[in-house]
Amino acid sequence: LLVFTAACLLCLLRGSVALPLNCADESSSPVPCTSISQDKLLDRVTQHAEFIYRITEEVCNQYEELYIPYPLRGLKNQGGGTCTSMSFPNLGSKTEIQQISDMRLLHYMLILAQSWVEPLTYLQSSLKNNDHAPDTLVSQLKWVSDKLTRLEQGVVLLISMEEGGAAPPPAALQQALSEPQLGVPDSIFHEYNSLMCLKKDAHKMETLLKLLKCRQTDRLSCTL
Amino acid sequence: ATMWTDSVMLAGLTLTAIFVSHTAGVSAPGRPRLTGCRSPEKETFTCWWEPGDDGGLPTTYALYYHLEGSETVYECPDYRTAGKNSCFFSKNNTSLWVNYNISVVATNAMGSSVSEPVDVDVVYIVQPNTPEDVRVLVVDDDPGPYLHVSWEKPLAADTQSGWITLVYQLRVKETSQDTWEEYNAGMQKGYNIFSLLSGREYAVQVRCKPDHGFWSEWTSPAYVQIPDYMLREHSMWIIVAVFAGFLLFVLTWTVNVKRSSVKHCLLPPVPGPKIRGFDPHLLKSGRSEEMFSALVTQHFPPTSSYDDLLVEYLEVYDVEKQELVLGVKNEDPLAPTRTSDNDSGRGSCDSRTLLTERYAEDGDKGGADRQLGQCVAELASPPLEEEKVEAWSTPFSPPPLHLQRQQVGGARAAYHSVLEIPCDSPCAPGSYGHQGESDISKPGGRGASTTLAEPQAQSAEYVEVQTVDHENVLLLRPLADPGGPDVDYAGEDYSKIRDVIPDNVLLLQREPSAWPCAADPGQDRGERSCPTALQELMQPCKPPGPLQQGLRLVANGYVDASAMLC
Repeated sequence: LLVFTAACLLCLLRGSVALPLNCADESSSPVPCTSISQDKLLDRVTQHAEFIYRITEEVCNQYEELYIPYPLRGLKNQGGGTCTSMSFPNLGSKTEIQQISDMRLLHYMLILAQSWVEPLTYLQSSLKNNDHAPDTLVSQLKWVSDKLTRLEQGVVLLISMEEGGAAPPPAALQQALSEPQLGVPDSIFHEYNSLMCLKKDAHKMETLLKLLKCRQTDRLSCTL
Repeated sequence: ATMWTDSVMLAGLTLTAIFVSHTAGVSAPGRPRLTGCRSPEKETFTCWWEPGDDGGLPTTYALYYHLEGSETVYECPDYRTAGKNSCFFSKNNTSLWVNYNISVVATNAMGSSVSEPVDVDVVYIVQPNTPEDVRVLVVDDDPGPYLHVSWEKPLAADTQSGWITLVYQLRVKETSQDTWEEYNAGMQKGYNIFSLLSGREYAVQVRCKPDHGFWSEWTSPAYVQIPDYMLREHSMWIIVAVFAGFLLFVLTWTVNVKRSSVKHCLLPPVPGPKIRGFDPHLLKSGRSEEMFSALVTQHFPPTSSYDDLLVEYLEVYDVEKQELVLGVKNEDPLAPTRTSDNDSGRGSCDSRTLLTERYAEDGDKGGADRQLGQCVAELASPPLEEEKVEAWSTPFSPPPLHLQRQQVGGARAAYHSVLEIPCDSPCAPGSYGHQGESDISKPGGRGASTTLAEPQAQSAEYVEVQTVDHENVLLLRPLADPGGPDVDYAGEDYSKIRDVIPDNVLLLQREPSAWPCAADPGQDRGERSCPTALQELMQPCKPPGPLQQGLRLVANGYVDASAMLC
């Protein structure tokens, strides 16, 4: 049933979500794309984040049911290490996050998205190599990877729309996230930890984007 | 030796202590168990545990946690806010997207025990509080009332900044029923519920859920009473049904009241045989004398006195449109009125054909005379009154004749047929009377001519008696005969009484030619203004036509005379 639901979700999402990224092709230098409004772009990017979280949650649940015994579920193993985002302690509470500017949030999300490109590739190859993983898991991860790439592009656009310029992200941020944290998963627990971290980060991105949405526009869903 | 004894004593004491404690029921506490942790708004969270066996001694509980990636162990900051056996983590102590490793330790005098550790990430354990301020309104609307349910977001949930996104759900059920009807309201804070039954009481509950999290508890039910209402269609049908029922009732009552006439209409009674003049009621009464007397008073059985006999129609045949004799119609008030002047319904005396047959049979006038006599007798039946009849200055000088004023009311058209009285050739004014007298004076028979000829189909002319004026002149008016010969009367036609033959037979005379004066019935008699008519009377009558027939009367008053009177 879970596999079926995941497959259905994938089918729905493939058709519905599409980021208009023609803007980047128009000129060599990054120019603010005016073919889509900022509100709509933000909507689209938020949708991406929502879908990514949902699929990642599906993958995690499937993986847990297949490989992880009940008592060990939700636990972080020593071998797994910590998630990347842990290096930003000031993003742990609402009060802290509300003190961060929009631009910084966007930068953070960009880096976060970029930091997962490589680990996802590893995960996919790891799952493929081990014949134990069902095909749906691999395809779902592939889908997540694609959507994450598009999300990253959308965030880039949003950044370019903000304050009229694509300011480079702070150096500290970049440095913190550039270090390989997870490495190549070599065990199930490693994979599991990796998936758990992915799920967490996806949730984070979704929350941050929703916060951003209500900050920037007067939306009924926020004021009601 | 003392050391050994000391150790033995110590061991014994310990054993005794243990023994004593066991017999007293105290032990180290059992392992507590963390039942769950929840965050109502993604900013704080609370964990609850279940104490194990306390071992009979007062036991204290302590919650310890450490964050993933850190070895620092912290104790629960707040044991009170959330109640007994709970730990409340305030905003400052809550970090998101970080796993908490939590465990509870129970300690008593005998020892302590640790619960199983639990890993918790706050963002995954969000369960909001119940929605606030649920209100239910009954709104009147066209087909029927509906419910409008409204509520507010739970306290402390920060939806405005977008930190948390809530979706709502409500459920309705009739208080007497068991099954709930659930509705998803999305992110809105109001909902309308339709199609509820009138006069029933309903209960409404609301709950909410964050985008990723758990459903809240249901609010306490809000009760509402739907007012009584009638569906417009129902009331219309009820009105229609009542009206139809009323109509049915009226119809049934009418039929019931008029059941006899309805039965008469639908099942007409078959007429039974009826004898005219025979009253079955008298028969029922059993008085046969009255019944028979009733019969006698009618024209049955025929008596020798012809007073009661009917004279209804006299047929006059116009052979040459001359010298017609007018008969008098008598009406029997008891007999059914005959307004038709056709041949149907006549008795044997009526039928001319029958008579001719008889004549043929009998051959001679003998039998015919008798018949005629009989028929003539009928004609003479009407009683006469004391009215003078104008006496014509004719050689006949008939005695004053009492003529009954006949019942010739204006409304009733009195048909008269003109009698044809046979006229022998040569026909002289004087000869007739003689002839007539001679004929008539015969007992039992009169008016029979010597020669009887086959009555031919003469054109019978009918005249209508309008009035009889005070000088006993019948004022006639010819009827339009569609098939017959043209009536060439200029106006009203008068017939004069030529003579009165004994036995009360009127001999009427019709003027041979159109009168120079057409008199109205209301005016004076024509004979005064037309004295020439008398002279015409004196004229010798023309030779009679081939018809030489006697004065024949048939039963029922028809006079079938084909003879002519000059």
